[in-house]
Amino acid sequence: MGKGWIVFMANVLHKEYKVERDDYASAGMVSSDIKQSLNAIGISPKVLRKIAVASYESEINMLIHAYGGDVTMDVDDDGTIRLVFADPGPGIPDLEKAMTPGFSTANEKARAMGFGAGMGIPNIMRVADHFDIKTGKDGTTLTLTFQVPES
Amino acid sequence: MNGSVVTYTLEHCVRCMKCIKACPTSALRMSSKNRIVVDDNRCINCGNCIRSCHNRGLLAHGSTLADIENYEYTVCMVPGALISHCSSLEEAEDLFHAIRILGFDEVVDITEYSGVALKEAQLLAGSSDDMTYISSFCPVINRLIVSKYQGLLDSLLPINYESEIAARQIRKRLKGKNVGIFNLCECEAKLSIAKYPYQHMEFECDHSLALADIFPLIRKNMHQGRDEVIFSKKGLQMCNPVRIVKDDDYLIADGFDKVCSVLDMAEFGLLNTFRLLILYPCFNGCIGGHMLWGNSFLMQNNIDALTGSKSKQSAKLDADDVYVDQLIKVNKDTRTFLERTKFFSNVNKQLEMLPGYDCSACGMQTCRIMAEAIVNGEKTLDDCRVLAALKEKSNENQ
Repeated sequence: MGKGWIVFMANVLHKEYKVERDDYASAGMVSSDIKQSLNAIGISPKVLRKIAVASYESEINMLIHAYGGDVTMDVDDDGTIRLVFADPGPGIPDLEKAMTPGFSTANEKARAMGFGAGMGIPNIMRVADHFDIKTGKDGTTLTLTFQVPES
Repeated sequence: MNGSVVTYTLEHCVRCMKCIKACPTSALRMSSKNRIVVDDNRCINCGNCIRSCHNRGLLAHGSTLADIENYEYTVCMVPGALISHCSSLEEAEDLFHAIRILGFDEVVDITEYSGVALKEAQLLAGSSDDMTYISSFCPVINRLIVSKYQGLLDSLLPINYESEIAARQIRKRLKGKNVGIFNLCECEAKLSIAKYPYQHMEFECDHSLALADIFPLIRKNMHQGRDEVIFSKKGLQMCNPVRIVKDDDYLIADGFDKVCSVLDMAEFGLLNTFRLLILYPCFNGCIGGHMLWGNSFLMQNNIDALTGSKSKQSAKLDADDVYVDQLIKVNKDTRTFLERTKFFSNVNKQLEMLPGYDCSACGMQTCRIMAEAIVNGEKTLDDCRVLAALKEKSNENQ
């Protein structure tokens, strides 16, 4: 770039998923598919592990707090992997608190199933290369970007 | 990876494709000559294909006893799983004698070395605060992680296989002699941990013998005498998930599907509170090994009977003899990210043309594997039987 070359960034993979409200039985299905697709491409194990952790946490957050939503994954051939988790839920009332490790508002049902330890967002922030969250009364959009090191 | 131990017998094959469907790593395919071909780089030696075949078209064999002639002094190593098969110490002594008179100079039980491997694993896991280790006792688990869960490679315990730890000690003790070390294997996967017959020269053990092949000979030799033996309790416990002395922060799983789901959870970071994952791809652990003929539930109870009156401690070994730098070879993907993504999108393009029934009629496990083969130039779209049938039908209608 910058030397007069025109670089075409091509989208290699675009996938859309739906997370259904209160469908705890399918918890983790979306992140499993994301993991499998990226494994099929053959991205580096370290990045794959990070994406697996982040996508699972985000998916479960959607299920517990936001009554489901939409997930999209885009992989560009320059090694950028973008995950967008958009939900029409109630939004996060106190974002700063939600980003604090150990803080949780999960209900009893979720906790009984082993979710809601208060490490969701802090964990996602720790592993993602770029983290962006927009939240309001009509929903939350979480955009995570990961960069695969060029080999 | 290290190659497959699965052998194929054409005359037994009825071309039912069950084995192709059973493979967890898509290593099997039907060639254009209607033969099953096993991909050495993909096969993890789990043996699922062997068990899916109802016609004994797929089997795994080891070396033969004729190889004993090549050595001045021969040692046969007996695994804990086979020992657990005996219901009393007397029966075990009978078994050891029966094995020895097959032509070996010495029969060694390796439970004291399995005990060391387990003890070291527990010590290492206990000394760590944030690491979740995965047991490396089973070659199938190690290969499965290389093939499907590369994110967990760093979690594998750097502990050598029990048979290798034992073989190294035997070699040390008998220094100077032309020693041949034979390992009696209770499952397919362990056949691969020896120099022969599968040409893995990096191992200490010389030959692996398949219990399924040798057992008829052992049976003939039974009830002819006794060789005195003492076992290590910890070593015998290691071959069974139920009998391992469990700690709160251990997770023990057996059965191929369950092990896969545990590895999935580990990759999602859900098992961070555990320090050690002990995984057995065979149901009921190594005593559920596929070449053992007994009831693995009954065999669980034999462990106490065998070590009740007398037992020995695990061996005391140097760290060098137990730990290894690299337990399993990982073939690095040398393609750049751009090349990989290009291949992937080409595969996706082909996949859209295919019907997507995953019927395996073309000889490949799924349409995705077929699409990969098309991109690699091994197959063409015309090889898809469904598309060919549709084409024929539309030609007839015209």
